[in-house]
Amino acid sequence: MDLFILGALNGLQLGMLVFLLAAGFTLIFGLMNILNLAHGAFYTLGAYVGYLTMKLTGSFWLALMVGPAALFVFGTLLQLCVLQPLSEKGRSSHLDLALLTFGLLYATASTVDVVFGSSLQTIKLPPVLDGSMSLFGVMSYPKYRVFIIGLGLLCALGIWAVLRKTLIGATIRAGVDDREMIISMGVNIRWTFAMVFGAGAALAGLAGVVAAPVLGIYAHMGITIIVITFVVVVIGGLGNVEGSFYSALTVGMVDSLVQTYIPQIDLFAVYILLIAIMIVKPAGLFAKQVRAA
Amino acid sequence: MKLNRKSVWACVALAVALVFPLVLGGFTVTLATEILIFGIFVSGVNLLLGYTGLVPLGNAMFLGMGAYGIGVFANLLGWSLWFAIPATLLTVLVLATVIGIVCTRTRDVEFLLITLAFGQMFYGAAIKTKATGGSDGLPGIARPDFSLINLNVVADTGFYYFVLAVAVAMLFLFWRLIHSPFGSVLVGIRENEKRMISMSYAVSYYKTGAFVIAALYAAVAGILSAQHSHFVSPEIMNWQIGGEAVLMVIIGGRRYVLGGILGAAIFIVVKYGLSRLTQDYLIFFGLFFMLCVAFLKDGIIGLYVGLRQRVRA
Repeated sequence: MDLFILGALNGLQLGMLVFLLAAGFTLIFGLMNILNLAHGAFYTLGAYVGYLTMKLTGSFWLALMVGPAALFVFGTLLQLCVLQPLSEKGRSSHLDLALLTFGLLYATASTVDVVFGSSLQTIKLPPVLDGSMSLFGVMSYPKYRVFIIGLGLLCALGIWAVLRKTLIGATIRAGVDDREMIISMGVNIRWTFAMVFGAGAALAGLAGVVAAPVLGIYAHMGITIIVITFVVVVIGGLGNVEGSFYSALTVGMVDSLVQTYIPQIDLFAVYILLIAIMIVKPAGLFAKQVRAA
Repeated sequence: MKLNRKSVWACVALAVALVFPLVLGGFTVTLATEILIFGIFVSGVNLLLGYTGLVPLGNAMFLGMGAYGIGVFANLLGWSLWFAIPATLLTVLVLATVIGIVCTRTRDVEFLLITLAFGQMFYGAAIKTKATGGSDGLPGIARPDFSLINLNVVADTGFYYFVLAVAVAMLFLFWRLIHSPFGSVLVGIRENEKRMISMSYAVSYYKTGAFVIAALYAAVAGILSAQHSHFVSPEIMNWQIGGEAVLMVIIGGRRYVLGGILGAAIFIVVKYGLSRLTQDYLIFFGLFFMLCVAFLKDGIIGLYVGLRQRVRA
């Protein structure tokens, strides 16, 4: 039973981490129709910005803030200065932009490799988060993983509140549903696009910093995690943030429990899950009911 | 017979490919062999990407199946190569049909992602399989024996000519395929799938067919690749290889028969050239293909055709 709870908690933690990536990824796709493969690059860059901040100032909390902030600026500029002009020039077919961002992912990984070397780095935890705590009075569990779960839930709640309870959230949801309509109603969608892109990048950067103490920092970290993000996003239904939350939890649990109980298949269990779901429901498990017009 | 520009170019290219090992030799032959092998693989990707309008990101799995297939049948089971090669292709045919039926139910981004998922699944399986050496891979893959026709393929130059022959045959088949009714249906699916359906074409059969043919091209390339390096490891199925294949098609020119092999040539030569110039070549390499994607919509061939039309007009 302890083993199961431990596996489930690890799954929850992995799910939260992937959700931070998947939320931005799925929203960017839903709104701008960009399959943003560079999301993995944002994750890597966030981790390295956090690592540098940590090295210069020694403060984990500062690293946790600077990482996402830097990526917000980077993401916004990327959308405003590169992707938006390209898609306005008629290069909006998502293959083109997907490949461009694939190039960016590649270039980032190799640049980081050259600048920081290929050795594994990490971010040291502050004393508050270091060590273990006892859970339910019976078992001990690393404090930092509890922190990740809490932070993930907080972010999920924040994203939900912004999307459901604010005007900008309403604009974004309307944009996902029907982009042309919202433009014709006089909303300057460019800024919404740039902000959402920036926010998605910031979340990915946050995920990078948060993951660093657990998974380590290396040049190809983004390439490794982006694939599992795809799985989450597809199962959740492309463009559906709430779906990707449930799907991140499902994938995290499956991955972690398989690792605990059937380690022989741990590398591909989630892909089998995805393929099974795609056979039954090609549009994703949590796809919204679309009314056929 | 009217000699058109295209066939003149093709003959010139073939003549260069035949003669240059005699002049240059050494490492260029290895590089050229690699280009030809990737050319075969990427041509299959081009059939899906350029002609059918489906973007496969996981086609490296069939490259891996070809390479592992020959490793399993010839090395582990000890079959003769002349049985092992057909057995490998047959296995890939069956697997690709099953995978293709599942994948072609989706389109666009979902197709891209599900092929990626299948690729990752086989990548994971290859790492976990103890019999094929896990992540260390399987060494000692033999090259075929052509002593009957006096061709020594153990030497790199001999192997190059063998690969060249296979590549020319595969490209010729590709060209015939594109200009067959089957190819026209594929282009129709790319342009307007709903119309093809309403013209009562069973599009799912055609899409699965294209998927299987692309897989067989990848498998042939995989067999050659394993024989070229005498070695196969799970890294051959890494999803980045599939991504690079898509980039090669884009660089060379989708919708052109020779787009795949030209893209492979440019990709490999630029990668090698940059690595000779500077140690930090990977930075420039990433930038290089971002520029290619941003500015070359129809690849190098598209650029050439566009320029010629402008000169004429």
